[in-house]
Order: sequence, then C-alpha cells, then structure tokens
Amino acid sequence: MTSREQLAWAIVAAPTIVAVLVVLTPRRAVTALAVAGALVTAGLALVLGVLELRSLGAPVVGKWVVVDAAGVLLVSVVAVVGLATVLVSPAYLAGADSSLGPAHRQRHTYFAALYAFWAALLAVPLAGNLGAAWLLIEATTAASALLVGFSGKARSLEAAWKYLILTSLGLGVALLGIVALVGGIPGRGIGALSWRALDTYSSGQQSALVAYVLLVAGLAAKIGWAPVHNWLPDAHSEAPPPVSALLSAALLPVVLLVAWRSEHALAPVIGVRAGQDVLIFFGLVSLAVAIPFLWRSLPWKRLLAYSSLEHMGVIALGIGFGTPLALAGVAVHIAAHAVAKSIGFYAATPLVEHEPRATERSVTGIARTYPALGGVMGLSLGALAGLPPSPLFLSEVLIVAGGFQAGRSWPAAATALLLALGFLGLAHALLETTVGKARCRDGTLRPGSRALAMLGGISLALLLGLSALALWLPGSDLVDALLAGIS
Amino acid sequence: MSGGLLWILVAIGLAVVVIRRRSVAVALVTAQALVLVGFALDDAKAAGDVVAAGALAVRAVALAALFLLLVSRTRELRPVHARVPPLVRAVAAIAFALALTWLVPTLGLDSRNGERAVLALVAFGIVTVATRRATLFHVLGIVLVENGLALAALELPGGGSLTIEVGVAVDLMLIALVAGVFHERIFAEFGTGDSAALRTLRD
Repeated sequence: MTSREQLAWAIVAAPTIVAVLVVLTPRRAVTALAVAGALVTAGLALVLGVLELRSLGAPVVGKWVVVDAAGVLLVSVVAVVGLATVLVSPAYLAGADSSLGPAHRQRHTYFAALYAFWAALLAVPLAGNLGAAWLLIEATTAASALLVGFSGKARSLEAAWKYLILTSLGLGVALLGIVALVGGIPGRGIGALSWRALDTYSSGQQSALVAYVLLVAGLAAKIGWAPVHNWLPDAHSEAPPPVSALLSAALLPVVLLVAWRSEHALAPVIGVRAGQDVLIFFGLVSLAVAIPFLWRSLPWKRLLAYSSLEHMGVIALGIGFGTPLALAGVAVHIAAHAVAKSIGFYAATPLVEHEPRATERSVTGIARTYPALGGVMGLSLGALAGLPPSPLFLSEVLIVAGGFQAGRSWPAAATALLLALGFLGLAHALLETTVGKARCRDGTLRPGSRALAMLGGISLALLLGLSALALWLPGSDLVDALLAGIS
Repeated sequence: MSGGLLWILVAIGLAVVVIRRRSVAVALVTAQALVLVGFALDDAKAAGDVVAAGALAVRAVALAALFLLLVSRTRELRPVHARVPPLVRAVAAIAFALALTWLVPTLGLDSRNGERAVLALVAFGIVTVATRRATLFHVLGIVLVENGLALAALELPGGGSLTIEVGVAVDLMLIALVAGVFHERIFAEFGTGDSAALRTLRD
C-alpha cells in the first residue's frame, strides 16, 4: 500500500472515528473534540494534496481506493470547507433554539451527523469503484438529511423530507444504470465496477449509452442539476447555515465528480462526444433555469441556492467541453465556488441575528447597518457573480474559451450569454444587499464583527490566490493530470 | 425468471399504486421482496448467491417490521387521501411504464420481459411517490423502485451480483431508518403524515 493510499484511508477514518467519539463524549468536551478532529482531518487532506502535487500523472488505482488529481482536488475542497464548517458551527449552535433530537444531546447529534456526512463526502472522491461511490453518496443523503432537518421546525422538516425522497429516488435511477453496466462487464465482484473496468463493457454501444444516461440522470437529482433540482433551494435555505455551506460547496461537486469519472471511464464505449453531450445538456438547462431566479428578490440563502444551481451548470459545461482550457476552468471554478459560497452561507448566522426577517425575504442595505457583515456578503456575491478579478470570472472565461476550443461554438456562445444574464442578476442583488435602502434595525446588535472581518480577510486572500492560480493553470501539469483521469 | 412470476411482481407493484391502506401496502412490498428471495434461492449456484438472497430477505423483513411499527405509532384520525383517484393512478402508472419501456431500448438483462418488469416497477415507484400524499407511501415508492433493482440484479446475464444485492439492502435500510425518523417527527409536528402539509416552501 503506498503512502498516498494509506493517507486516503486515514482521511476517511479520522472523521468516522470522531463521529463515534462525539456520541460518547461528555457535553462540555464535544466542541473541543470536534475542532481537534477537524484540524487533524484537514491536516491529513493537506498532506495528501502536497503528495499528489509531487506525483502528478501517476494516480494510485487500488481495488477500493483511487488517488488522482481530480479526486485530491475535491478532497482538499471538502476538507477545507469541512474544517471551516466545524469552526463556525458553535456560533450557530449557540443560537439554535430547537433540534431534531433531545435538547441536552443537541451538540452530540449535530456533530455526529456532521462528521458522518463529512466522512462520506471525503470518501466519495477516493472511492475506487462506481458501486462504492454510489453507496457512499447514499450515505451522504442519510447523514445530511438529518442535518437539513436538524432544527426540527416545520420548514426544515419539509425541506429534509423533499431532499431525502427526491435524491433517494434519483439515486435509485442511477443504480438502475449501474446494474445495466454490470450486465455488460465480465465478472460479478466489486472489481467489475472499478473505474478502469467500465470500458470493458461489451454489450453494445446503445445499451452502454442507456446505462450512462440513467446513471447521470439519477446523479443529476443529487447534484441539483435542472430539471431535477427541486429539493436544492429548499434544503440549502432551511439547513443550518454551516451545513448549507457543506451541501453547496462540497456535496454537489463531489457527486459531480462521480458523473465526470463515469463519463471519462465510459468514453471508449459510448463515444467521447455522446458522453459530453449529456453533461452539456444538463449544464445548459441548469443555467437557463437558474438565471430567472437570480433576477428575483429572494431570501439570502435561497439566492445562494439558486446560484449553486447556476455554478453546477457551469462546471457540467466545463467537463462537457473537456478541453485543457475548460478543465483548467473547472478546477478553479470548483475551488473558488467553494470559498465564495461558504462565506455566503456562514454569513447567514449573524445575518439572521441582525435581521430576523432574512429567512423569509430579501435583505437590503446590510453594509449601512452592519459593515463587517455587509462586506462579507458583498465579497461572496461579488465573487459568485463573476465580478473581475473574481476567480469565478476567470474560470468562466476559461470554460467558455474551452467550449470554442472544442468546436462547440453554439453551446459556448449560449453559456456566455446565460452567464452575462446571471451576472446582471447577481450584480443587482449585490448592490441591493449591501448598499441598498436600509431597513430600520437595531444598530447595536452586531455579533462577532471581528470574527466576520477575519473570515472576510482570509476569504479575500484565498479568492485572490485562486485568481492568480487561474492565470497560471492553463498548460500546467495539473491540467494534464485532470485530462488523463485515472486511465 | 418465468413470465408468470414476472407478472405477479408487476401486479403487486401496481396494487401498491392503487391501494389505500398503508399496512396493506407494506404487506405487498414485503411479499414482492419475498417472491424475489424465493427466486434468488431457487436460482442460486454459489454461496455468494445464497448470501445475496439472505441479504434481500433480511432487508424485506426488517423493513416490514420498521414500517408496521411506524404505522402503529402514527395512526391517522382520517385516511390520507391521495392527490388523484386510484383508477387515474393506475392508468398513469401503466402509461409511464409503457413509455419507459419504449424509451429504454435495452438494459442488457437476461430477457426483454425481465427488463420490462424492472422498468414497470421503477415507473410504479416513481408514480407512487408523485401521486400519494401519505409520507409513508413516499418511502414505499422508493422500496418499489429498489425491488425493481433487485429484480434487475437477479436478471443479469450469468446470475445475480452479491455486491449489488447487499449494497441495495444496506442502503435501503439506512434510508428507511432516516425516513422513519422524519415520518414520526412530521406526524408529531403536523398531527398527520400527510405531505400536503409540506408545501410551504415555494418560489
């Protein structure tokens, strides 16, 4: 077993162990244990990231574990967002007045579910075969549904129920695609579903394409691609804000990676173009469905949820275009979206304390009454809108350019047009939210201004770093490794 | 699998779409899973096949126990009426199943009849979720889909797949447990397991 393989197991084992320990730990030590566990998990992921950068182009492909550039990119994103989520969770829990479980076990329930969710999220990009990846995605559903409905209030129960039923149904359809694939692959063991075995499918191109479409259409329900995205705005808006960040910044791209790997692995059987067409279809439909909502006055977290729909569409398009430029854009987009979206959701906790009506209606003029909060929200929306020099602006340029490079002029042109419309919608929301007309609020209520300023500063530095990375990435070894996948 | 057995599985699936009582629907999906267990045991050639059948049996019995417990703990004062009448549900389910059969040229299973039965059960499960208001029926719709997938795994050329059967069993029990938690909580919050109460979040 190589050091990267051992690290991969350790990265999944660490949060799994913490999830169990949290349940057994006395109440006063739960938060400390959670924070310590998060630091260890994120540290291990960071080491794996460094090791992977030093061995680009030489993926580890085992029976159960795969360590490649795309997987490690996602593991790093999930680790960083997970760490930040654990760090901001105590602030949310301090103000939470109800929960799904007994009140005296509130922290135990929350952190156990959060760590179980985090462990499954870290495991999906490292899963060595399609079957295990599918099972782990189902595990994320079970754990995250408990978190979405954590407050136990009517609206969160509704959101959790929709999320559980719709994504389970979608994953059922995806499993039908997997069963159909198994039918055409020699052997019946777990090895039959390993990523490298998928191209041994031998029951014909047409049935392979049917299986692939079923698989991706089923996964689409979990990724939140339109037209099967109905759970997404509800779950993102009703979940605890730290969990919303993990759902949007980590869960959606992690499941998207499974669709990406499947497309890559099955390309020799179904044809490169056919596999990419399906992703481009979902990408364009998601963009087209998201844009009208970005123009509306929506509650803060619902606006961010529709922005997730837009950005998952952009990533699907980048993978669908599949050129070096587009994949460079995809790598930057996944990381930058994670940073920008996470701080947006983290800001929701102080926002609701400052403006309780923010859960049900749009907010305006926050920077006038609470500058630190307005600054963080403005940074999040500005980056998500693609306002230069946001890394998301650069990644979108790379993806559109990659579309033209791939000879897909019409989809690339449509993407550019839809992104411009989305930018206008979010730019309007940015102005209204930060410097619009301020409602009368209690100006003395400004919880955690210093923490918010620190969050904003770190996020700004990360975003600027990603902008610089976007300029360097095209033509680099990392893009070559992303293109090669695990083949 | 014989044509007669496939028809029985499909007929049970259609009955779940139209039946009114939750407990009867639980009995039907359990019976359907046990028919699959019988076929899996009859068709077993290796120890792995018997283990797969065992996983399917454990899942069927465990889910039945869980669902019946949920039914007994969440008695409705009045029956929860579905959004659409039984006959319309049946027509919609059959039409959807036929459409799926037409749209999906082949799944690569042993027989075309087996593929049709799998697609019919998937269609019936989706229609159950879409047209029933009782939250427990939503979960039963997912179980119908998963029974269809278990049938697909058994109809694979060269026999069933232990990985798929065990995976589906574990996954379904996990999801059903979480759904059970939410079903009870929804009942406690709204006084009913009627999903019509869950329609406040809209744009």
